[in-house]
Amino acid sequence: MGMTLDFSILLLFTDALALGLWTTLRLTLLCIVLGTTLGFVIGLLRSSGNAVVRGLLGLYVELFRGTPVLIQLFWIFFCLPLILGVEFSNFVSATIALTLYMGAITSETFRASLRSVGREQMDACVALGLPRRAQIVNVILPQAVLRAVPTLLSNAVSLFKESALVSAVGMADLMFIGQNISNNTARPVEVLTVVAAIYFVIAFPLTRAVTVVEQKLLRKFSA
Amino acid sequence: MDYTLDLGAVTRNMGPLMDGLWVTLQLTLAANAIGVIAGFALALLTTSKLAVLRLPAMLFVEFFRCTPAIVQIVWFFYCVPMIFNVFWGPVFMGIVALGLNLTAFNAEAYRASIQAVPREHLDAGIALGLSPTQRVLNIVLPQALRNSVPVLLTNGIGIFQQSALVAIVGVADLMYQGKTLATATYRPIETFTVVALIYLAISYPVGQFVNWLERRQSYS
Repeated sequence: MGMTLDFSILLLFTDALALGLWTTLRLTLLCIVLGTTLGFVIGLLRSSGNAVVRGLLGLYVELFRGTPVLIQLFWIFFCLPLILGVEFSNFVSATIALTLYMGAITSETFRASLRSVGREQMDACVALGLPRRAQIVNVILPQAVLRAVPTLLSNAVSLFKESALVSAVGMADLMFIGQNISNNTARPVEVLTVVAAIYFVIAFPLTRAVTVVEQKLLRKFSA
Repeated sequence: MDYTLDLGAVTRNMGPLMDGLWVTLQLTLAANAIGVIAGFALALLTTSKLAVLRLPAMLFVEFFRCTPAIVQIVWFFYCVPMIFNVFWGPVFMGIVALGLNLTAFNAEAYRASIQAVPREHLDAGIALGLSPTQRVLNIVLPQALRNSVPVLLTNGIGIFQQSALVAIVGVADLMYQGKTLATATYRPIETFTVVALIYLAISYPVGQFVNWLERRQSYS
């Protein structure tokens, strides 16, 4: 191979990369908070609520789980403004798209954890004569939320990775800036490797942390 | 909204979309063939007692799990030809890139089910005087394969959806054809909706099948 690697070229672009990373992190954190909240509400509504609400929410969840995130982004970026007749900034469009995606996958997490709280617990509530509100707020919810924690964390890491897709619709996140630098310097090997390494340095410890939390919780539940 | 829907713009152009779907299916099936086989080999390496085998295998898995798929694909398309001086067709490049990603995720699935084989079964194998190879082949392998089927299928649909990423590097898959059509006809709403529904029409039934399989396995 007739190429020499020169990673020092990246030193010229540390500010640009930092700016891209900041956009990535801001977008990710905002969508984690909004998406988890949305997912919690939808998970609850899908576990109770009336049949029409359940059906519509089910449709929403399946749509966002069953299609590529890339096409969801394209749809929100290019179709939603046409339908609503309003222009959104890139950041707002990306926030809407990733929040809806996060809401869909997180609602499934909550629904699964609500179901995992044993039937006996409900029976115990009835035997103790607890009112319906106390059954849900004091018995079912705390256990369900605790059980959901590892999956919620891993959803959050996934969202961090999926956020790189916004580069494809022209938002200046870490990936977008990395690709621009790579094209302008014609040094894709150095630039793209460093971009991958930045994502890795953030996602790897988080993935490890998820495993640790999961094992702690498993021990807690088996004890 | 002053936008009148015209589905004809899409139905008149189903040809390119179907060509794209065919490419998407080829990418998905070939990447799954790589992922199912190489994933198992990689899982054996990550559970190996020898650090020389285990550590590189784990690094491979963690690299693919902890970086965005789009970064992997862009990296692959730009850097592999430069580093290794090879020039493959775009579909083949896509298959290898997606296949390597799926290999890492499937290895995790296999590893979890290898570790889930109950300790007692191995003890029983020892008590019966089975050799280590016999224990792996006749006790661990059949159970691990059976238990990982739902996750392998879930990962398989995952790669079907991720395959849309190759549109960004110019592979003429369903997503790419949809994008081209939306631009050419100025009909983004109709086109992107139909493309999304095509993806949904394939991943939804497989997803339901996985749910059914998981329920059945949890009873047995």
